[in-house]
Order: sequence, then C-alpha cells, then structure tokens
Amino acid sequence: MPELGRAALLVTLGLATYALVAGAYAAHFGRRRLARSAQNALVASFVSTAVGAAVLVSALLRNDFSFEYVARTTSRALPTSYTLSAFWGGQEGSLLLWLLVLTGFGAAAVTLNRAWARDLIVWVVPVFGAVSMFFAFLLVAVASPFATQAAPMDGAGMTPSLQNPYMLAHPPLLYLGYVGLTVPFAFAIGALLSGKLDERWLIATRRWTLFAWAALGVGQLLGSHWAYVEVGWGGYYAWDPVENAALMPWLAATAFLHSVMIQEKRGMLKVWNVLLVIIAFSLALFGTFLTRSGVVNSIHSFTQSSIGPWFLAFIAVTVAASLSIVFWRLPKLRSPTKLESAVSREAAFLYNNLLLLALCLAILWGVVYPMLSEAVRGEAVVLGRSYYDFFLRAFGLPLLLLMGIGPLIAWRRASFRSLATTFRWPTIVALVTGVVLLVLGAGSSIPGLVAYTFSAFVLTTIVMEFARGTRARKALGASSWVGAFTSLITRNRRRYGGYVVHAAIVLFAIGVAGSSAFDSVAEAKLARGESMRIGDYTLLYRSLNERETANATQIRAKLDVRRGDRDLGSLEAGKNAYTIEQQVSNEVGIRSDKLTGEDLFVIAEQIDPNGTVYFRVFVKPLVNLIWLAGLVFLLGSVITLWPDGREQRRLVARASTVGLPATR
Amino acid sequence: MARSANPARLVIALSVAAVLAVFLLYTSIAGGGNPSLAPSELAGRSGTVQLAGVVVGPVRGDAHAGGLRFQLKDIGGQATTKVAVRYSGSVPDLFKVGRDIVVDGRLERGTFVAEPGSMITKCPSKYAPKKSGDSA
Repeated sequence: MPELGRAALLVTLGLATYALVAGAYAAHFGRRRLARSAQNALVASFVSTAVGAAVLVSALLRNDFSFEYVARTTSRALPTSYTLSAFWGGQEGSLLLWLLVLTGFGAAAVTLNRAWARDLIVWVVPVFGAVSMFFAFLLVAVASPFATQAAPMDGAGMTPSLQNPYMLAHPPLLYLGYVGLTVPFAFAIGALLSGKLDERWLIATRRWTLFAWAALGVGQLLGSHWAYVEVGWGGYYAWDPVENAALMPWLAATAFLHSVMIQEKRGMLKVWNVLLVIIAFSLALFGTFLTRSGVVNSIHSFTQSSIGPWFLAFIAVTVAASLSIVFWRLPKLRSPTKLESAVSREAAFLYNNLLLLALCLAILWGVVYPMLSEAVRGEAVVLGRSYYDFFLRAFGLPLLLLMGIGPLIAWRRASFRSLATTFRWPTIVALVTGVVLLVLGAGSSIPGLVAYTFSAFVLTTIVMEFARGTRARKALGASSWVGAFTSLITRNRRRYGGYVVHAAIVLFAIGVAGSSAFDSVAEAKLARGESMRIGDYTLLYRSLNERETANATQIRAKLDVRRGDRDLGSLEAGKNAYTIEQQVSNEVGIRSDKLTGEDLFVIAEQIDPNGTVYFRVFVKPLVNLIWLAGLVFLLGSVITLWPDGREQRRLVARASTVGLPATR
Repeated sequence: MARSANPARLVIALSVAAVLAVFLLYTSIAGGGNPSLAPSELAGRSGTVQLAGVVVGPVRGDAHAGGLRFQLKDIGGQATTKVAVRYSGSVPDLFKVGRDIVVDGRLERGTFVAEPGSMITKCPSKYAPKKSGDSA
C-alpha cells in the first residue's frame, strides 16, 4: 500500500514536470498537439494525486500504524470523523491536500476555459505545472506521508481541543482558500507570458477568486468561533502569526476583487491587478510557510520541520520570477484610460485598495518584525496586540467609511453637489446614531463610537440601494415587491451579492467594536454560596460537580445567573481533565442573549481542592453579531458565486468583440 | 486637460505619504515592541521583555494569591541557565512542567516578575504526539 502511494506521487511529479516543460515548449513554439498533451498531463496529475490521497485515507481508516503519519496523528480510540480529519492534521497530509486541491483546481480551470481562451490556456498550463511540481517534489523527497515503520500497538492520538467538529471544516476551508488563489495567479502569469493581456484572464478566474476568498473568509471565522467557545480565554482573535497568515492573503484578495471591477469597467489598474494577484498568491504560500516552519513564536507552534527553507526558496523564486515577467510586459500593460478625478468611483476603489494593502503590509511587517530585528539588531523584538489594534483602527475605520461611499459615488468625476444629494440621508442617519450613542454613554471608546457611526452610514447606503433598485424593478413591471426584490438580485448578482457581503462586514465591525471596545471583565474567588456582580448580572456559585466520562474527568461549577431581578437560570463552567493525554482544558460557560447579541462568558480559572473557585467573567456586548456576520457573508458570497450564464456570456462577448472594455 | 494628466500618480503618492505618516505616528507614540529573549540572555537586562522558555519544576504558589512560582530554561538549547519566575493571573490550560511558554515582564532582583495575565503556552504541536508516546 505505501508503495502505491509513493508511486502515485512520483507519477504526479513526473506529470507536473511534463506539464511545465512540454507545456512551455508547446506554448512558445505554437505546438498545438503538444499543448493539448500537457493539458491532459495536468488532468492526469489530479488522478494520480487522488490515488495517493486515497491510499492515505484508507490507511487512516484502517488504523494502519505502519504508516508513520497514521501512528503520529491518530489512535484506535479516535472517532472516525476525527481520524479522517487527521488527513490534514499533520504536515505531510496537509501538503498532500494542497497538491490534491491544486491539481484538481488546475485541471478544472484549464478544462473549463480551453474552448474560448485557448491561446491563454496554453501558457496557464505550465504555471500550474510549476506550482504542482514544487508540492509534488516536497511530498516525494522531503516530507513523504508514506514513510513506514514497524507498527506500534497504538497511535499517539490527537490533542483533545482539536477533537472538535470545527476542525473538520476550518483547516480544509483555509486550504481551499490558499490553493484557490493559485488559479488567478496561474491565469495572470499565463496572460503575461502569452502577451494576451485582455480581460479574459479576469473573466476566467473571477469565480475562482471569489470562491477562494469566500472559503478563506468563512474558514477564518470558523477558526475564531472555535477559539471563542473551545479555547476559552475570552477572545476570538489574538493577532497570532498563524492567524495573520490567513488574514493577509484574504485582505490582498479583497483588494483584487475590487480593483478588478475598475479594470473591467474602465480598463485601468492593469499592472496593479496583476501585482495584487501575485501578492495574494505569495502571501498564501507565505501563510503555509508560517504555519509549517515554526520560524516565529506562535501559540500554534506546529511541528518544526525541514520544509521551511524549501518554502522560503519557492516563495523567493515565485516573487522574483513573477515580478520580472510583469516588468518585461509593462509596455503591454498600459491603460487606455486615466483617472480623471480624485473624487470618483475609480478613486474611491483605489483608496480602498491602498488601505487594504496598507493594512495587509502593516500586518506582514508585524509578523516578520521579530525575524528582521533579530537579523539586524541581534535580538528578536515582538510587536504586541497594541500594534495590530492601532493599524486595524487607522486603516480599518476609513475602509469602513469607504464601503459606504464607493458603491454610490459617480464614475469618472463626481460633483460635490451630487455627493450632497447622494449622501444626505446616510450622513444624517450616521450623525443621529452617533449622537444617540454618545448620550447613551458610548463615548467611553472613541474608536468604538466612530465604528458605530460609520456602520450606520454604510448600512443606510446599502438599504437605500436595495430600496431604490427594488422600486425601479417594480416600476418596470414586476408583479409584486417580493418579485421585484428577487429579480433585482438575480439580475445583478455580483452587485447585490456584494452589498450583502458589505452588510456582513458592517455587522462584523459592530460585533468587534462592541465586544472589544465596550466589554467588561470581573474576577473573584468564590466559595460555595458566595456571589459576584458584573454589570447588572449577578452570579451565585451554587455547587461543584464531578463526572467521569470515557476519556476525561469533568469538573463543573454551577452558577445561578440573574440579571437585575430576572432569573436567567444556571450556567456551568469548569475543566476537563483528560486522563490519557494528561491535559486539562477549560470548558467555559457562555450565555448568549438572543435579543441583544450579548454574551455572558464565564471561565472557572482555578478550582481549589476545598471547592473554592477563581472565576473570571466577561460581558461581551454584540459579540454574536460576529457569528451572524459569518452567515450573512456566506449568503452574499453564494449570491455572487451563483452561476449566471447571462453575465458570463455578456462578459465573454465584450472581451472578444471589443477587446477593450467599454468606457462607461 | 492638463489638470487630469496625472491625478492617479498624485493620489497614489498622497496615499503612500499618508500611510507612511501613520507609521511614523505609531512608532513615535508606541515605541515598538518588546525584545524576545531566552532565559540565558536575560542576565543584566532591564525594562520589559518577552521571555520564552521551558517550564522547570517545582511549580509552587497560587496564581491568584501571591503568585505562581516556577523556573524557566532555554528551549532546546544547551544553556543550563534557569530563571526564577513569579506570575499571577490566568494560567493557560496547557501550562505544566516541560511546556514551552512565553511571558512578558521584567527582571527584579534576580526574579522575573511577569505581567499579570501575560502567559501564553505554545500548543503541543497541533496533532503531534506527546513526547512520552513517541515511538520513534
């Protein structure tokens, strides 16, 4: 069996090399049949990788501990679903997942687009081949998932906090996102190499980019929610390098999704878009590198390993090669149109892009700062939470405001008179919200208050856009308001799906501001029968119970919760002591208020033998809006991603007949 | 349209300048982060630093009454220097002898006094084995 796996990966390596070498040769010398054969090699590499993956899955399911990988990541007692999740739990498995998704995406993207963009595709194939070759090489030569040993009696098992349903979805979603960003990268480089720099590469990859971006976004939120309910320190994001690793490519991809519209509509920002794609892909590689190399002090310190230098070299080669190609093609990337005014939709999108990229680079700087300062000054200096919080406010708040302005401002050149009309109501609503909140006492955090005011502004613009569009549809003869509303969305999924995503970001901002700027915390050491207060909550420590389960001893402190004079029932917080793993985990008690989105969050930090418990309690207003935002984000992404033949035909027709986008 | 010849460049230049200004503003008010040190590098250092090391027992005291006391030594290094640490505040689940932890604080009369609640433990590698169960 392991031989089959190793052979399959060797075949993948061969096929990827063939796709690169033969594909590049065929593209350069115009050999159509050879190009076709390189495409087939790419598809075949997916099949051979799938065979390798199947071998690993079957080894995992059979608990075949003669596979080192299986013995290291699972145990007999582990439930089947988590045994499967061990596929991406360790380094070798997750690299194999990378390669599987990569070859799958590559084969699909190439097959789907070769009919209408053949001259582009011939150059895309070698790029996919090159990236696949790197991962296949790592799996064959450096980190093989098929290394064998004399089988031990049982495997080492999985860390308890990871035996959790979130871990079935969170890592693979991140991988789908990371790998998905390869598709626009391959097409962008393919377009540069072929010299066919029309908008086709954008049309071909739009949904792929959206999909990758949505998967990254949802994956990160799932990770945050897991941290919030399972890890139990009271937060959901710690600006840890490994968390930032997923955020950075997401920010770059967000910038790209916006600036792409400017290129489609106005033919501007061509160089910029290519650069953003290269940045997003490089950051995705860098993210995988950070996660796997252990070069930075992180809470998630994964197995330190030998793949770090290889990754760094590959990133360096990727960046250098891509930038050289861009530089070489600069003359072909000239825009036919120019920015006409600093007050226009193009300009607003450009500001949005610069802010997103600035935030992304500020985070990158924070992540690499310890390494840089170690290299330059001889000691690693770590930038803490305040660094990231500062830049999130400095760049995030203007971004929030722009989200309201950008979609409504006129193309090309906006007059201040028209601005006044467009933004009269949003501004009024925002100011009223700000004043009301100030009166209610939200002035305790200025950034929080600003975030709320901006959020009100953006939400008003979104509601107005939906209202205006629906009214127009009704006037055009839609039978009912509901019909008008649905046809509005289905006829322009991209735009209105985008608004829904904007609404999600606003909800997210409100949730983050509420739970970080207006939260409160109290701590107390309580004996049974004693109580503590936080805000208008009263918590009475009632009893301490101990339960034995199959793999752990559960200790739970039971608290009676009251708010004002209303009885809210009881809440349990405690610890699980895992006998075999010799680990203790906090099991927090959370009471969510469905109406206000506020959480009461109880941690039993220290349980003394005499039954006194040291409690740490948070009240986190509006925190549930963050999770709601995740659902709305998913909805908006699905709306924009939904297949839309009409739009695709329109874009294809425009790209093939005009060549240049209409300047409207 | 001479005026519209180059607003793109102007916009980009201004934006870059604004971003740089924000950076300068930050570095001038916040003054950068803390050095990250190993226990063997700590001797003679003043000021707040981040200390990363392996927990050495015995662990005594109460994190919520008078402080938890333990020692730290270098992670993976040959150095045998140990630093006494006093810590109060939340103790992460994974804290125990032999684990890698990170704390912020300063050296005071030979004892590293950690800032309350600053302790971070490193996950024992995501799905990786415990040392004792490692068959290799």
